[in-house]
Amino acid sequence: MSIVTILWPMVAAAALTLGTIQLLIWFQHREKWERVVFFLMSLATAGMALTELGMMTATTGAEFGFALRWNHVPVLLNFFAIVGFLLLHLRAGRVWLAVLAIGIRTVALVINFLLHPNINFREITGVRQVDFLGDQVSLAIGRPNPLMAFAQSALLVLLAFAIDVTVTVWRRGEKKRALLVGGSLVFFIVAGTIQAVLSHWGLVDVPAIGSVYFLGMIVVTTFDLSRGERRAAQLSGELAESEQRMTLAAEAANMGIWIRYLANSEIWASDQWRTLFGFAPEDSLDFEKVMGRLHPEDRESVRQSLDEAVARGGRYDAEFRLLLPDGGIRWISAHSRVESDEKGRPLLVRGASRDCTARKEAELETQLLRQEITHVGRVSMMGQLASALAHEINQPLGAILRNAEAAEIFMRHESPDLDEIRAILADIRRDDQRAGLVIERMRSLLKRHDLDTRPLAASELIAEVASLLRGDAAARRVNLEVAVFGNLPTVSGDRVHLQQVLLNLIINAMDALDGGPEISRCVTVTAHATDVGMIEIAVSDRGPGIPEDKLARVFDPFFTTKSAGMGMGLSISQTIVQSHGGRLWAENNPDGGATFRFTLPTSGNEVAP
Amino acid sequence: MSAPTVHIVDDDAPFLAAISRLLRAHGFAVRTFSSADKFFAQREENAAGCVVADLQMPEMDGLELQAALARTRYPMPLLFLTGTGDIPSSVRAVRCGAEDFLEKLAPQEKLIAAVERALARDLRERRERARRHEVRNLFATLTPREIEVLSLVVRGKMNKQIAGELGIHERTVKLHRTAITTKLGVPSVAELTRLVQELESFPKRQ
Repeated sequence: MSIVTILWPMVAAAALTLGTIQLLIWFQHREKWERVVFFLMSLATAGMALTELGMMTATTGAEFGFALRWNHVPVLLNFFAIVGFLLLHLRAGRVWLAVLAIGIRTVALVINFLLHPNINFREITGVRQVDFLGDQVSLAIGRPNPLMAFAQSALLVLLAFAIDVTVTVWRRGEKKRALLVGGSLVFFIVAGTIQAVLSHWGLVDVPAIGSVYFLGMIVVTTFDLSRGERRAAQLSGELAESEQRMTLAAEAANMGIWIRYLANSEIWASDQWRTLFGFAPEDSLDFEKVMGRLHPEDRESVRQSLDEAVARGGRYDAEFRLLLPDGGIRWISAHSRVESDEKGRPLLVRGASRDCTARKEAELETQLLRQEITHVGRVSMMGQLASALAHEINQPLGAILRNAEAAEIFMRHESPDLDEIRAILADIRRDDQRAGLVIERMRSLLKRHDLDTRPLAASELIAEVASLLRGDAAARRVNLEVAVFGNLPTVSGDRVHLQQVLLNLIINAMDALDGGPEISRCVTVTAHATDVGMIEIAVSDRGPGIPEDKLARVFDPFFTTKSAGMGMGLSISQTIVQSHGGRLWAENNPDGGATFRFTLPTSGNEVAP
Repeated sequence: MSAPTVHIVDDDAPFLAAISRLLRAHGFAVRTFSSADKFFAQREENAAGCVVADLQMPEMDGLELQAALARTRYPMPLLFLTGTGDIPSSVRAVRCGAEDFLEKLAPQEKLIAAVERALARDLRERRERARRHEVRNLFATLTPREIEVLSLVVRGKMNKQIAGELGIHERTVKLHRTAITTKLGVPSVAELTRLVQELESFPKRQ
């Protein structure tokens, strides 16, 4: 067996193998037609290799002529394939050049089959043996046909087309690709053309070996075609890495990840998520099973918001409670995203859930503390005062009533016990005085001598109240800003009372923003020293402001614009500020909203109210 | 047994004096106490009557007094008076069996009606307690064997069956039955059954 009879079938086999791989890929991605074209290229190259083998192993002139004649068929097929591949895969090249090259080659093929023995030779008288790769191969002896030049001119047109493609791709900016695909194509076409011309015209004693050049082209284009696959491999490596990073991040944040498939309500969830929601890793999950884990009080609202999110698409945030199998409560903060197909139909919801119990508990604690302070502020100042007043005053009033009723009954006796009645009247008088004293004591409660005054840092006072109100402000989507200018001197005041003034003013400001546009929901608290031994604290909002005719009346007791308000907050606040020796007033901002300002004397500058 | 007494507990002395005057004028026997502690220390155990207590008191308040009173052998109906009635306390008080919950300035008629209702309830409850005591004492005279026989008799068993179940002679069963009817003072099986049912309807804890 000679080396050629091994090598050329190998060329054919290699070409077919590469082609078949691309054909198989095409079966999975039917839109990639260049892979079918590539398969044709490999088929043609295999055909060329086999016909070339026929020529090289021919023992008579007739055999050689027959093989050469049929060699033109795969060559034309290769023309189609190369042109098609370049047009489809690189999307470049002038179509008329392609048509011209194929046209010439087609005409040449027709002529080839009309003439005998083929288009290359007028006659083949025999074969001669030459050395090739250390082997003996056959070459034709005969007269070349000048028409062969016509067939070979098609190679020049194809070369022009390949150069055109290369330049276009280069100009498009894909220089590496232009060099690799275009450059190697040009190289192989040039080399193939020269070799074919020299061989067939009998200028050198070398057999026609076009298939080898075409195999070269196939290898290069395979490399280019597999760019997608190589990129995919790289991506999958990056994906694995990215997943590792995500898992680490999710673990670190104690975050569970889940996907809900809308088609069948199935749920996939990470182990972390299962731990959070109290499911075992092997439990099968569906939507209803997960909903069953939610706290009954939160279940319906979560279901409703989820349905809305799915219908609306996009992102969705929720906070809700779980009722765990052991009876415990766990707060979950979930962020999820609805993903839809190209037609906008929701496919799945992807989300991340986190245990936020600690934060929630802290929030609730602050809320409670705030309520307590507000209670001290709003209730203890008003409601609790009223309640205490009622209790204190009902005691003597009740005694007076019962005494009077008893006296009436005693008077109905035929001989009333006058001593007893005198005692009753004395008691009534005493209880009446007692009731009067209660009222007097209430009146003096807010007077200065009841204040627990100490030196206070205004910035601390503001910071305390602001931190108490942060949660409330966030819930009401109000931006609470604090700006304290410079190093303020301390003021002399009663911390709890002044906290209540600030709370009152800030809550009023937030109330004024309710229903307004979110962008302008901002409450600003500022403090600065004035030049006369006072500091001034201002609370500004961007609400609708106060109508000019009501500006003077807002501090009147029982004046309110709120449906649920008692109209006492500002009145009490003013009393407190005045009892500290300061002043509280309101003004409208030139650019909208209202500002409440109050002054307090700095320590050592107290003046009698 | 002494006349039913209204026990008034209030830390406010002038009010205590006034309300005791009024209730005395209406003909009630009254005792006053200035704190819940004093009430428990000085009250006559098993006295007939009721308690009228202020809800807000220093140290032991009205609700605590109510709970402590419920734990004693001789509880008394109780009604609250308060300077300011708040809903949670009143709900709790009534749920724990308070006869009523009145403001200190409540109309006289309402106050008197409530006191009368409380005294009537005390009378009823005392009668029931006495009856329970009596029935329990009757049954306490039975021997364990007699109780065994009795439990089978009230289930409708014949003497022969009882003898078989307890493994004793039928004649002995008859002797036990005679002893039971004599001790309990009821001649017929129907009466006996009714008495046992009454005993079983009593609260278990005493």
